[in-house]
Amino acid sequence: MRTSLSQSALTTRRDLMGLAALGLIASAAKPAAGAPDGELRVGVHVSLAPTWFDPAETPGIITPFMLLYAMHDAVLKAMPDDPMAPCLAESGTMSADGLSYALSLRKGVKFHNGDPLTAEDVKFSLERYRGAASKSLKDRVARVDIHDPHRLTIRLKEPWPDFLTFYAGASGAGWIVPKKYLEQVGDEGFKKAPVGAGPYKFVSFTPGVELVCEAFEEYWRKKPTIKRLVFKVIPDEATRLAALQRSEVDIAYSIRGELADELQRTPGLTINPALSSAPFWLYFPDQWDPQSPWHDRRLRQAVSLALDLKTINEALTLGHSRATGSIFPVNFEFYWQPPTPVYDPASARKLLAEAGHARGFDAGDYYCDTSYANIGEVALNNLREVGIRVRLRPLERAAFFKAYSEKKLKNIVQGASGAFGNCATRAEAFVAKGGTYAYGSYPDIDALFAEQAVQMDRARREAILHRLQQAVHDKAMYAPIFQLAFISGVGPRVGQSGFGLIKGFAYTAPYEDMTLKGKA
Amino acid sequence: MKQYIARRVGYSLLSLFLLSVTIFLFVRVTGDPVSLLVEPGASPEDIENIRHQLGLDQPLWEQYWHFMANLAAGDLGQSFYYRTPVLELYFQRLPHSLLLAAVAMALSLLIGIPSGILAAVRVDGFWDSAGKIFALLGLSLPSFWVGLVLILFFSVYLGWLPSSGSGGVAHLLMPAFTLGWYFAAAHMRLTRSSMLEVLGSEYIKLARLKGLPEALVIGKHALKNALIPVITLAGINLVVMINVAVVVETVFAWPGIGRLLYEGITFRDFPVVQGVVIIGGAMIVLVNLLVDILYALIDPRIRLES
Amino acid sequence: MTVIAPVTTDTVASSAPFWRLKGFPLIPVSILLFIAFVAVFADLLAPHDPQIGSLARRFKPPFWLEGGSVVYPLGTDHVGRDVLSRLIFGARVSMVVGITAVLVAGGIGTLLGIVSGYLGGWADQVVMRITDTWLALPALTFAIFLAAIVGPSELNIILILGLVYWTRYARVIRGEVLSLKQREFVRLAVVAGCSKSLIMWRHILPNVTNSAVVLATLMLGVVIVTEASLSFLGVGVPPPKPAWGLMMADGKKGLMVGYWWLTVFPGICIMLMVLSANLLGDWLRVKLDPQLRQL
Repeated sequence: MRTSLSQSALTTRRDLMGLAALGLIASAAKPAAGAPDGELRVGVHVSLAPTWFDPAETPGIITPFMLLYAMHDAVLKAMPDDPMAPCLAESGTMSADGLSYALSLRKGVKFHNGDPLTAEDVKFSLERYRGAASKSLKDRVARVDIHDPHRLTIRLKEPWPDFLTFYAGASGAGWIVPKKYLEQVGDEGFKKAPVGAGPYKFVSFTPGVELVCEAFEEYWRKKPTIKRLVFKVIPDEATRLAALQRSEVDIAYSIRGELADELQRTPGLTINPALSSAPFWLYFPDQWDPQSPWHDRRLRQAVSLALDLKTINEALTLGHSRATGSIFPVNFEFYWQPPTPVYDPASARKLLAEAGHARGFDAGDYYCDTSYANIGEVALNNLREVGIRVRLRPLERAAFFKAYSEKKLKNIVQGASGAFGNCATRAEAFVAKGGTYAYGSYPDIDALFAEQAVQMDRARREAILHRLQQAVHDKAMYAPIFQLAFISGVGPRVGQSGFGLIKGFAYTAPYEDMTLKGKA
Repeated sequence: MKQYIARRVGYSLLSLFLLSVTIFLFVRVTGDPVSLLVEPGASPEDIENIRHQLGLDQPLWEQYWHFMANLAAGDLGQSFYYRTPVLELYFQRLPHSLLLAAVAMALSLLIGIPSGILAAVRVDGFWDSAGKIFALLGLSLPSFWVGLVLILFFSVYLGWLPSSGSGGVAHLLMPAFTLGWYFAAAHMRLTRSSMLEVLGSEYIKLARLKGLPEALVIGKHALKNALIPVITLAGINLVVMINVAVVVETVFAWPGIGRLLYEGITFRDFPVVQGVVIIGGAMIVLVNLLVDILYALIDPRIRLES
Repeated sequence: MTVIAPVTTDTVASSAPFWRLKGFPLIPVSILLFIAFVAVFADLLAPHDPQIGSLARRFKPPFWLEGGSVVYPLGTDHVGRDVLSRLIFGARVSMVVGITAVLVAGGIGTLLGIVSGYLGGWADQVVMRITDTWLALPALTFAIFLAAIVGPSELNIILILGLVYWTRYARVIRGEVLSLKQREFVRLAVVAGCSKSLIMWRHILPNVTNSAVVLATLMLGVVIVTEASLSFLGVGVPPPKPAWGLMMADGKKGLMVGYWWLTVFPGICIMLMVLSANLLGDWLRVKLDPQLRQL
C-alpha cells in the first residue's frame, strides 16, 4: 500500500486537506439513505488473527489492513484518489526544520462505544504501537505534545523524510484506538472485543472460522450501506471459488490461474484484479563471483530477454499483472520507470553466444517459494528455449525466506516482496550493501544509497533514487518478472465491491463505500 | 503390580520428554517465524524487535527451560500468529475435530463392517470383490480430489450441500465421508480377516453342528467376537484421525486440529506446533499406557515378562 | 488424503515361502508388471519430454474431444506439457518413490521389530515408546522439516515416507517375533548356544520375511497416496518432475474448469496400482496364512 507525503507536498497541500475535509463533511451531512441493510460475506484466503484487530500489533504484512479498514480509522490513510487522505485529521503541517508535525483532528468523531476521539487517543496509539516498524518510529519520535482535545504536535529527534510514510502508511501507528477503553479492558480484552472508530464494529470472532462485523451508523465519513460483514476463512482456492459460485460468499479473495478463467466464464461473477505492491523477479546471487557464469552481465540480460512475460502473465493472472521491468513497485514514491521489457529469444541466444555459451549451458538451480512454483515452471521452459538449463528447486515458504536471507541460495532465485515503504526502503533491503536480501553490491549504487538517506530535499532525493534504480537496471542486477495482480472474484449480489478504489491495495476498501445491489 | 504401573508411567513420561525435545529443536532448525511475520524487505531493526518480542533472541537452552517450566505448570505458551494461548486455540478446535472424527469413524465402520462381513461370508464372491474394491477406492484416491469432486457435484452442480465451513449436519457430511472412506478399507479388511478367523473356530463349528440358522450364527455368535479387534483398531484410528485430517480440513475449510497444526508449521508458529504435537503425543501415550495396564491386570504373565 | 494411513493391526502369520505357490491373481499382477515395464522403458515409450511444455498449447483436451490432437493423445497440462508422457515418466517416479519408501520403512521397521521383539525388556520398551510417539508426529511435520533441512527432492520424499511408515512394520513384526520366540526351532537354537544376533539373523528374519512382503504390497498404495497428499500441501515431489501424485495436486484446480483429464488419468493410474498391489497382498496373505488356508 502506498502512502507517503513529502515535505513540500505536505505544506503546500495544507489548504487542500482542509478543502477535502469540508467536502467530506458536506457529503456526510446529506440526508442518509436509510438504515444499513443486508449481509456481505467475504471468503478469505488466510486465517484471520486477533492481532489484526489491534492496530498496535500490525506486523509488516499487508493482510491485516483487510480488517483495519473495517474496524478502525487512521489519522491519515490511503483512500480512493488520495494515497494519503486526511481522515481523523482535518489538516496537518510540518515545520520548516522538518522536526515537528502539527495535526488538527476532526471534531465529533466517536468510537464504537460512544467515547469521543481526542488527541489523547492519538498520542496513546502512537506510543502504544509495537508492531513491525515500532523501533524505526520510536528511535526517531521525541514526544507528542497535546494542545487541546483536537490539536497535537508530533516532534521528531531529527529530520526524517520518511516519517509520514511510516506513520500514515502501513505501520499501524497512525490507526487510533480508544485509550480509555483499552485501559479498562487491557490488551487481551481488547483483542477479544476490539473497539475502534472505523465504519464497522466488531461483533464476534471464531478463530479459523469467521469474523462478524456490523455497520457503525455514526461513522463520520458516511453511514455504511451494508448492515453486516462476515469474513469466512476458506483456505483452499478451489473451494473458495465453489463457495462464490454457490453464493455462500459474495467476494472470494485470491483466485489464480485456471480458476480465474473459470471465474471469468461463470455468468454473474466478475473478476476483480488489483495490482499489488509485490513485484516478482529473478535474482543472480553469484553475480559478484568472477568464477560464476552469472558474473557476465550479458547472461543476466539474456535471462530478461528470454522470459515471455506477456504469455506468462496471460496464463497465470489473465494478463492483469504488469511487466514493469523493475523490482520496485510502480506505485511507490521515487519510482523510476525502466524501459519496457521485451521478449526476444533471438537476442538472448546471441548474447549467450557472445558470452561463449553458443550451445547453451547448465545454469544450476532455480530457487523459488513453493506457492509461486507455477511461475518457475513456466520460466523454466522459457529459459530452456534459449539454452539456459536450470533445475527448479521449490522450497516451502518459511525455508525459502530463511535460506534467502541467510544468503544460502545460489544460481537463480525467484523472489518477491510486498513490503510497504518507498523505493528507498526497497533498495535498502534488496540492493544496498548489507541489505537483508542483498548477496553483494556495487560501490556506485551504495554511494547513491548513502547520499539519498540524508537528503531532505525531496526533488534531489528523487533524482538520486532515480539514478540508483537506473544503475540497478543497467547492471542487470535483477531480471524483473512482473508486479503481481491479486485476483478476486465478486458475486452477483454486490454493487460496489470496493476493489481497486485504493491504488496498490489488494483487498476491498473502503468498506463504507461498498454496496449490495438493489440497496443503495 | 504397583511397581509395574510405576515403571510404565515412567516410560511414558520419558517418551513424552523425548518428544518435547525433538519437536522443540526440530521447529527451530527449520525456519524463522519472524521472516514470515514481516514482508521480505522489512528493516533489520524491526525484525530484531519482533524477535525480541517473541523471546527468540534468548539462547536456545533458556527458551527450552522456559518452555518446560511453563509446560510443567500446564501452560503451552502463546501462539505467535494468533497471540492467543495455545491451549485455548486447541480447545476451540478440539470439538470440531472430535465431531468430524466421530462421524467419519461412524461412516467408515458403516462401510467397513458390513462389506467386511459380506466379504467373509461370501469369500471370492461378487460381494467380496465389490466390497473390497469400494473400500480400496477410498484408500487409493487422494482425499483432496475426492473432496473437490464431492463439492463440485453436491454443492456446485446439485446445490444440495454447503461447499465448506462448519455449522449444521449438512456441513459435516462431505468432509466426514471423505475422511471416513479413506479409513474404511482398513476396517473392512480387518473385519473380513477377523470374521474368517472366528468362523473357522471350534465354537462356531459347534454352533453350526447344533443346527442354528446361519444368520444367527454369523449375526450373533461370530460377529460379537469378530468385532473386538475392529473396535480396538477403530479406537486407535480415532486418535490418528484427529491428528491427520489436515487435507480434508483444508479442502472443506473445517476448523480442526490438523489445520491448526499445518498452519502452525507453515507460519513456524513454534508454540502451536509444540503444543499440538505434545498434546497429540500425550493422548497416544496415555491410550497405550491404559491398554498396557489393562492387559497387565488381565494377564499377569506380561508383568513378569517385562 | 490423510497423511498417515489408518493403523491396521492385521497380523500376518506365515510358514511357506510365497514363491512356491501357484495361481497368482492374474490381472493385478499383470497390471503391476505393465506399470513396471512402462517405468523401465519410459524413455522409449514417451512421445514428448515430460518436463518441457509451452504455454501456447496449454490445456489441450484428449484427442477424441474437440480441440484435441493425436500429437498429445491425453491432452496437455497447465504448462502445456504432454499428459501421456508425464504419466509414463510418472510411473517411473511413482514406482521408484513407492517401492524405495516401502523398502526404507520395511527395513527400519523389520529390524527394530525383530530387535524389540526378540530381546524384549529394555530394548523393547525403547522401541515401542518411540513407535508410540511417532504416531503423534504427523507425516507432514516430517515432510516440511526434511524439505527445509535438505531441500526438496525425490530422495527426501522417500525418506519422509519411509520414516513415517516404519512403525507399522515394527508393530506387526514384533508381534510375529513374540510368537516365533516360543517355537521349538528357536528354543533349540538357544539351547545349542547360538548367539542372540545369530538367532535373529538366521532363524527369526527368514521367518518374518513373508509377512514383510505381504505388508509391503499393502503399504505401497498408502505410500503413493500419501505422496499425492504431500504434493497437495506443497511439500511433495518438486515440480516439474512428473509424479502421479503431483499431477493430481497440480491438476486439481483444473477440475473446476472442466479440465478433467489432468486428474482423472493420473487418478486411474494410482487407483490401478493401489488396487493391484492390495489385491495381490490380500491373495498372498490368504495363501501364506496357515489358519486362513484351512478354509
